[in-house]
Parts: sequence; C-alpha cells; structure tokens
Amino acid sequence: MGTLKMLSTTQQMHMKCTKFVSLLALLVIAVGTGCKRGPQGTTPLPGYGKGSVPSDRPQGPLEPGPKVGEDLTGGGALPENLKDLLADPNQPAVLRDNTVFFAYDSADIRPSETSKLDAIASYMKSSGNKAIRIEGHCDERGTEEYNRALGERRALAAREYLVRVGVSGAQIDTRTMGEDNPVVPGHTEAAWSKNRRDEFILLQLPGGVGATNPQ
Amino acid sequence: MTKPLTFIVSLFLALSAFAAEERIVIERPLDDLGFLKPIPVSISGFSGEVDSVLKNDLLFMGVVNVPLEQAKYLVTGSNGSQVEGGVTDKVTKHPVMPRKAYTGGSLRLQTHALADDIAQALTQLPGIAQRKIAFKTHTGPGAKEIYIADYDGHGAKPVTQDRVNVTAPSWLGRDTLYYSSYKLGNAAIFSHALKTGQRRAIARYGGSSISPAVSPDGSKVAMILSKGGSPDLYVSDPEGGNLRQLTTTREAESSPCWSPDGRTICYTSRERGGRASLFRISASGGGATPIPTPGAPIPSEPDWSPNGKWIAFTSLIGGTFRIFITPPDGGRVYEVAEGEDPSWAPNSRALIFCKGPDGGKRLSLLDVPTKQTKDVPRVLESNSQPGWAR
Repeated sequence: MGTLKMLSTTQQMHMKCTKFVSLLALLVIAVGTGCKRGPQGTTPLPGYGKGSVPSDRPQGPLEPGPKVGEDLTGGGALPENLKDLLADPNQPAVLRDNTVFFAYDSADIRPSETSKLDAIASYMKSSGNKAIRIEGHCDERGTEEYNRALGERRALAAREYLVRVGVSGAQIDTRTMGEDNPVVPGHTEAAWSKNRRDEFILLQLPGGVGATNPQ
Repeated sequence: MTKPLTFIVSLFLALSAFAAEERIVIERPLDDLGFLKPIPVSISGFSGEVDSVLKNDLLFMGVVNVPLEQAKYLVTGSNGSQVEGGVTDKVTKHPVMPRKAYTGGSLRLQTHALADDIAQALTQLPGIAQRKIAFKTHTGPGAKEIYIADYDGHGAKPVTQDRVNVTAPSWLGRDTLYYSSYKLGNAAIFSHALKTGQRRAIARYGGSSISPAVSPDGSKVAMILSKGGSPDLYVSDPEGGNLRQLTTTREAESSPCWSPDGRTICYTSRERGGRASLFRISASGGGATPIPTPGAPIPSEPDWSPNGKWIAFTSLIGGTFRIFITPPDGGRVYEVAEGEDPSWAPNSRALIFCKGPDGGKRLSLLDVPTKQTKDVPRVLESNSQPGWAR
C-alpha cells in the first residue's frame, strides 16, 4: 500500500475517489489510479536546468574553407580564381545587351540565341585578358533548389557554347541565382519568359586590363 | 441473474481489469497506409495558451482531443506556476503516463515538453514539439536570412544577418546548421554552430556550391557542385574533406536527401529523354536508379521520413505545387497537400512545408494521415525551405 501512502503526502493531490468497501476494490486503488496523482519530481527543460537561458545566436566571422578535393579533369572544369570577383563598374554593351533567354524548364541554347553568344565570343577573343561571369536565372515555376540547379545548368550551357567556339574556359565563371532575382515581376508567361535567362557580367581582374578599379 | 452469479461476474471483471493494468495494453490501430490512427483523448484541467498549445501539439503527433464519451484516455493536469499533466486509461484508470511537472523556460515550452511526453507514452513515436525548425526568410530585395523557431513558428530568431541570398538550411544534430550563402561571392556551403556563431565555408569552388544535406548520423554532407562543369552530386565529411563525386551526368542534379540509415541518397535529375525524376544512389557510389512517381511530374526537393517508409516530395502540376508521398522504391504516390518543399517531423507523421506565391510564402504544418493543416505565423515577408531538426 505504498502508493496510497505516497498519495496522502502529495500536495497536488485532488482525491475524488469514491468509497470502496471490499478488499478487491482497495487492491485496484493500490495499483493505481482513478485518483489524480501528484507529480513524480519535476522535469527540467533542456537548456533551462541551471538557470541558463539560450543566448541570441551570435554570429562569428567567416573562415575561408580549406582547399579540398581535386579539380576534376575534362574540358568543363571551372576556374577557381574568378569565383568571388566583383563586377566591373563599366559593363560593355555587348554583354549587357545580349542576355540569353530559355524555354520553360530547359537549359538548351535555342537557335535564336546563338548570334548573341557569337557576339560575346568575339568580344572575349578580342583581348585575352578578360573574365566574365555568367549568371543563370529561372522563372518562379519549379521548387527553389530545383531552380538553383537549373539556373547553374543554364549558365554552364552558355559557357559550353563559348568554349566550343574558341573562348578559354579559364575566362568564364558561372553562378546560379535560381528564381531569386526575377527581372520582371508577375506570374504570367510574359514575365516568366524574361526571367528565364543568362546574364553576362565583366569581372574586375586584379591588375588586369579589364580592371578599371582593382581592389 | 442470481446474486451469487452477479458476484462472480463482478469478481471476474475486477480481476480482468487488474490483469489489464499489469500488462498496460495500448491499442494502436493503423490506417491503410500504415500510419497510426489518431488516439482519442479527453483533455481537461488546462487553460488559455497552455490548453491550445497542448491540443495543437498533440494533433500533429497522432493524439486527438475528443468529447469525453469518445475518449479512450484522459489527459489531466493544470497550469498554475508550472505545467503539470498525466495520462490515464479512461476505463481501467491505469496511469499510462504518471503525472509530471515541468520547470524552467516558459509555460509554452513546458507545454511542448508535456505534449512530447504524452505523445511518446501513447504512440511510442518520438516527440516533435521541442524540435526546432530552420527556414529561409525574405528580408528585402536580394536579401534573405536563415531563421530558426519552435516548430510552430514561435520564438523565431535570425541565424544569419548577412543581407545576401542564403538558401537550403540543413541540420547537423540540433546545434549546427548547414546552408548555402552568397556572402563571399558565388554560392558556397557553410557550417554554422548556433551556440558559438562560428561558421566555416566547407565547400567553396568555382561555379556554384549549393543544396547541402547532412546525413542522419552527421558524418557526411551531400551537396550539388558545378565545379566539374555540370551540377553533380557530391559527398564530403562535415568539414568538407574527403570530397567524392557520385554523379557525372550533364543534367542538373538537385536537392539531395538521405535515407535514415545513411546508405542511400535520393535526389532529382533527368532521365534520358529529358523527363525530371527522383533517383536513388548508394552514398558510397555506383549506379543511380530512377524512383518512378506516376502521376506526379517534375518531382523535386525530396525528404526521406526518419522511419524510412516514405519519401515526401514536391510535384508541379498545371502550375500548382503539390506535395506527395511515395515509398522509397516509388511506383505509387499519394497526394497529401497543396504546397512545396516538405520536411518530415521526427515522428515520420507530420510534415512542415511552404505554400503561396513567390515573395509571399508561408509555412504550414500537416498531419499526413488526417491531412489536417495549420499555418505557422509568418516572419517578415516570405518564408520557405523549412527543415525540421530531428
């Protein structure tokens, strides 16, 4: 009958048990239970055990990551030295005016777009000391990470074309913007068709010819 | 009936009840898909926020509040200076969960702890109410931040404050997030320790480094890197070392997730002929196998349930995002909600997902077998890419 004894000493107890007269009924009470029982000790919440309060998440400085793995061989590997360069403040018209557009859910370069890429290739080949970044964008249809990969695939498709017509792959980096930077707002095909695109951006090369304001 | 017979029957019933109490039998019937049918309880003794939070928490853990006469179990307790509660069998009066009291935090957090304990006792499934979610928030043009919050959206706090694009949060345990950020230029993958704020770029290559997914045991990170000339699936250790390329297609692989045993990765790519599909591949390399999802085109952003039974994913049908679940081998799909980017709760029963137009998305909770949903309070303009710490 230890249970009954404990019940009688518990503060939060609210006995509502009806009277039982037989021994059998007492047995049922002993195992347990029609009565509300007091708490069996307290359960501290994680992180609150010793008066500690979770702090606002601080945010430390960024550490550049280690160089890991090896660059993959094959014509397509991307240059490592361009990835974080800033855009040149003086963007040439040939890059600015030749945005390449894509069909829905496609990263294929359409025939209508190749003359734009040919013009960009001529510009790139006119001086060997230039570097560009191709930014691939998507419309809002498709989930975010699907579009992030699709945007990268679109940028790489233009890069492949430029390399095929003689531009060095070492001059071209790619970046996906997914669906995050639509150029035309709205939820119609008119907007979507303008948002499915590759933009071409001249990079500031430290000390290079294209660098008007090297860092 | 004669009096002696009545006495014997009474004795028999009493002894049966006694025996039942000894065994603590809780019936847990399953529905057609193998999900636990909601367990009916009657909740009493609580008030205000504690009462509503408790009922909401339990709803997403397969425990539903019903009128007393329909209940099988009684959830009783109180919320004065602290939350207390316990569960008894309505018929046998056996204590399914002895009454407990909670200290620390807030009444709200104590209620989450009580809800988890009640659900665990009744369903034998892990609690979900004390696990955080991470998600992406729009804070302005071109600027997003990662936030964390309670699973129901309360207590939201920023993790990043970079004012750049940042995407795809993925938990390592409960104290570290991985995400992809444009902070340094191209998208790179960072680890971010929540308690210290220390972060490191663990994958930062030419092209884009996106879509990190930490394995359930925290020993590996799957990711999409384009450094080889196409967006391919790679795996590294948590620090970014021992990088290994798993796919070599020209297609854009995207949105990897892990099986609970850490042996298999599911992701999106395209079949020959260009049709988008889910695939599965051994985490140690080898051939990729399509996961057929008939009736659910352009499947993406899969998430494998912690019990291994289901993969939830997003399909795009007629311009509308819909969430489906499929067994890991595919072949049949079940639509569970309109929305996108589902993430399983630790109990393999609830999902958190997002819905709404670009720039105005919000998070919502879903109890998969009953299809009940509840919207989560929005933080700033738009919330997406929720990830449940498990």
